[in-house]
Amino acid sequence: MARIELKNVSKRWGGYYAVEHLDLTIEDNAFVTLLGPSGCGKTTTLRMIAGLETPTEGRITIDDVPMFDSDLGINVPPNKRRVGFLFQNYALWPNMTVFQNIAFGLSNINESGARVNENGEVERDETGKSPARKLSKEEIKRAVDRVSAIVKIGQFMDRYPSELSGGQQQRVAIARTLAPGPRVLFMDEPLSNLDAKLRLEMRSELQRLHLSTGSTFVYVTHDQMEAMTLATRICLIDNGVLQQYDEPLTVYNTPNNLFVADFVGNPAVNFIEATGSQNGDTLDLTIFKNIKAAFKPNGGLKIADWYAKDDQQQADIQAEKARKAKEPGYVEKTNKDTVFKYNIAQVEDDGEKASAISRSDFVLGVRPEFIRIGDNEAVEGEVFSAMPTGMETTVRIRVDNFLLTAVVFGGVVYKIGQKVRLSFSGDNIMLFSRENGRLIVNGSAELKSSKLVKS
Amino acid sequence: MSAIASPKPSNFSKRMNKAWTYLSKPQNMILLILGIVLTVTTIFPMVTILKDTVALHPGSIDAGENAADSKIEVVGETLTTYNWTNLFSDKITTRVGRERITKSVASIYLWTPLLNSVLISIFACFGAIFYGGIFAYLVTRTNLKFKKYLSSIFIFPYIMPQWTLAVMWQNLFNSNIITGGNDGLFVSLFHIYMPQWWCEGLFPVSVVLALHYAPFAYILIGGIFRNMDANLEEAATILNTPRWKTFFRVTLPLVKPAILSTILLVFSSAMGSYPIPHYLKLNTLSTQYVGMSSNRAGQASILAVIMMLFGFLILIVNQRTTSGRKNFTTVTGKSGQSSVVNLRAGKYILAVVFLITTLATGILPIILFAVETFLPNPGDYSFLTYGISGHMTTKWWMTAENVSESGMYGQKGILYNAEIWNAFGGTLIVAILCALTAGTIGTLIGYCVSKNRRSKWAAYVNNMAFLPYLMPSLAVGVAFFVFGSNVGIYNTFLLLVLAGTVKYIPFASRSALNSMMQLSGEIEEAAIIQNIPWIKRMFRIIIPIQKTSIISGYLLPFMTCLRELTLFMLLCGQGKIITTMLGYFDEMGLYAFSSGINLILIVMILAFNALVNKLTGASLDAGIGGGK
Repeated sequence: MARIELKNVSKRWGGYYAVEHLDLTIEDNAFVTLLGPSGCGKTTTLRMIAGLETPTEGRITIDDVPMFDSDLGINVPPNKRRVGFLFQNYALWPNMTVFQNIAFGLSNINESGARVNENGEVERDETGKSPARKLSKEEIKRAVDRVSAIVKIGQFMDRYPSELSGGQQQRVAIARTLAPGPRVLFMDEPLSNLDAKLRLEMRSELQRLHLSTGSTFVYVTHDQMEAMTLATRICLIDNGVLQQYDEPLTVYNTPNNLFVADFVGNPAVNFIEATGSQNGDTLDLTIFKNIKAAFKPNGGLKIADWYAKDDQQQADIQAEKARKAKEPGYVEKTNKDTVFKYNIAQVEDDGEKASAISRSDFVLGVRPEFIRIGDNEAVEGEVFSAMPTGMETTVRIRVDNFLLTAVVFGGVVYKIGQKVRLSFSGDNIMLFSRENGRLIVNGSAELKSSKLVKS
Repeated sequence: MSAIASPKPSNFSKRMNKAWTYLSKPQNMILLILGIVLTVTTIFPMVTILKDTVALHPGSIDAGENAADSKIEVVGETLTTYNWTNLFSDKITTRVGRERITKSVASIYLWTPLLNSVLISIFACFGAIFYGGIFAYLVTRTNLKFKKYLSSIFIFPYIMPQWTLAVMWQNLFNSNIITGGNDGLFVSLFHIYMPQWWCEGLFPVSVVLALHYAPFAYILIGGIFRNMDANLEEAATILNTPRWKTFFRVTLPLVKPAILSTILLVFSSAMGSYPIPHYLKLNTLSTQYVGMSSNRAGQASILAVIMMLFGFLILIVNQRTTSGRKNFTTVTGKSGQSSVVNLRAGKYILAVVFLITTLATGILPIILFAVETFLPNPGDYSFLTYGISGHMTTKWWMTAENVSESGMYGQKGILYNAEIWNAFGGTLIVAILCALTAGTIGTLIGYCVSKNRRSKWAAYVNNMAFLPYLMPSLAVGVAFFVFGSNVGIYNTFLLLVLAGTVKYIPFASRSALNSMMQLSGEIEEAAIIQNIPWIKRMFRIIIPIQKTSIISGYLLPFMTCLRELTLFMLLCGQGKIITTMLGYFDEMGLYAFSSGINLILIVMILAFNALVNKLTGASLDAGIGGGK
């Protein structure tokens, strides 16, 4: 029902950029999550699309109709955008009953050809040829009944919000948002105030709701699990800058950079620093101080070629930035972007000072499920901790001074201190440039056998 | 940008679009209008005073003793520097007995009253904070007995008209021998003659002001004590800190902001107080102003300007202190249990002490006023010795026809006196209109400022609305007097309502702003998204949720207006409103009438306060406390 387009949208307070030059297209009927750490600008983005916040510059359209345009001076107020917004703390009006809360918005509809059909859905004459009319009491009742049936709150209609539990309040808020038939539904961390079990239940209900309403959903969360499970596409933001906009599994498997790789996935990805150079198809790497590994890039990529292409792209971006800096009204960003500081898990901080980073320095990203544990694997390690949940077991293994997290399916019991052997499986091992943090390529990594070395 | 196919619009239409978007938000529109209106109503009267100090006033030069020798520089046609030069550089000779004493004009008309004003303000601050602060501590942090009763009686002196305690002081301590006039209760009953310094001048004025403003200190400081997280003190106790050290190092610093704001408020209020120094005969800036305003009008305006400068000074200090780092958040929400200091036997002794003092300041005035209206002659307490019959009378109330005997001076009894009831009507009209305008504007300001927290214009409007709060009442009164005379609305309800509104907007805007700040913006955004119009949002959502604090915002101006004298006395004739009518009866020597009016006024205010409190939960003290 609605396609949303953001072009070059920025929001800043003084030199602080909450959102910086964001380009984003949200397709009709999509379920897009805006994901990122707190304070990254995701809520600001959502509120700008809804019209509750005014962007500093840029252009926002819904169904190709401009809602905001800094060049044209257009700013359609939020009440004219016909969108729904579900607030984090529900924002139910405490002085009204559940029924009044839901009906209040409906009683205000005064649009061309507005009516409620037999199913209780609000219909309008989009061409605007019919005369404007208000909804009758019966129509409002029918519409309220429909949405309250969807979220199953029919028995609470005469209660006040303070007499409802958190989960029930959440349902009322959803019903209130759905009632006037918005073309887009915005949700700002709607599940964060619920307990863990209820959250899981509501998550699945939101998915069903998306299916049954056919509306476009835009959903803000800092919980990567929620984003992964619900979204058709994830939009990952950090420090006001778009990091990646892809389908969940793409984000998971081929993250654009170290930040994305680290943010998505639980338990988190293992980062391993590596140095080495390319020989033919394979990269001969040294990891963990003295263990040799051979990394085979998928598609036989030449590292040098990648760097050449990357350099060209970066030069273009810098040129564009330099051009913008010359434009009148340009304000320098005070919250500077930096290369993500990844965390290398260690038993003891070895206090090693960072040496100069060259193009032969890399970071390997290994998801926990790609660490294979067995008797005949290449590298020896020691079980540092083991956390069985019944369905799977998360094991942390010590190799030299380093820690690796692995996930093993099924109820495997490990003893702490037990010797195990491990290697990396599959061809989804990620290779990042240590210089700029960007993903170079995925591939497979073969470890050369070694003994456990105690430091 | 290249994606936009439409031609680039002209700068003009872009600006129009932007302005339209800005003004289509009701809060911006209201702020724009209110900002302009408040600037005019607050700044314009002040400018008129300044202009008045250089205006040529008829008769003022003749009044100066050395008028003949003083150089008169006429600037332009009607402007003159005479008022300033005469006040600051000329001397005046007075005859005291056989000696001729020459003093500078400034020392008589400016420095002495200024010194007195500053002294009573300082003493009032100390007294109010000492008395009110100790009471606040006892009520909130100890196991004092009769807390509930004590705390409701304690604020009576603030609710009652300012001069109540001053008049009571006279009724108690005056004597024909020392002060002249009628004998007071002490003389009649015990034949105790209090010395002059006790009856008139600096001492009684300071004490009465302190007693009047002590409830202020109690409400502000007590508010912090009440909300203070007991954990803060318990943490110190756990660390084995002696109790006195905990009090001085933890508790006291936390209430420092409240003490500071009490000081500022009491200082500015005491500075501009007229009735108390008037009754207790102390020469302060405000009484001096009133004395000078007829024959030295220009110089009187200079006094008003000086009072205003104090107001600005206080405003600046206030801004400095409330924005500093030491403005603590004492409310953390956790730990509802607050620890209570056990006073042991002291809980009874202190309770009795405060019972006596609160009775003396809160209940006794009402009884005395009531008794006064039944005395045959002012100060004639003979009924106490000879019995009620024949020594008490109902004539002050019941006389229905025009009689000139029995000391009535042709006035009808209070119950039948049309002039008194007209004045009451006038007071009610002014109070209701002031409450409606000040309450509405204040609430709107609170709402709009809370919506535009970052905007500089909103901060400006807020400050503009707040300014009159710290201006001495008399200075505001003078400003509107000069302004009103210039535009020809002197002695109209319009002028009274205008002055009252400007002076009382801060009451409403503060309580509205505090409560609006606590209302999550999402509550209204949820309605905006659903295309609910602004009026409906206000009346169906915002106002119902915040109704108690909004009602407080209307209640405070109303109550204050009922008993206001200083602000209004220059703005109208004596029969216009009841408080100025009081002055008329005092001048006539009809003290029973003024006591009766005082009685009705006090009972009316207390009854209103109790009624509204019962109905809505809003109350005066909640409004003054207002969170901060």
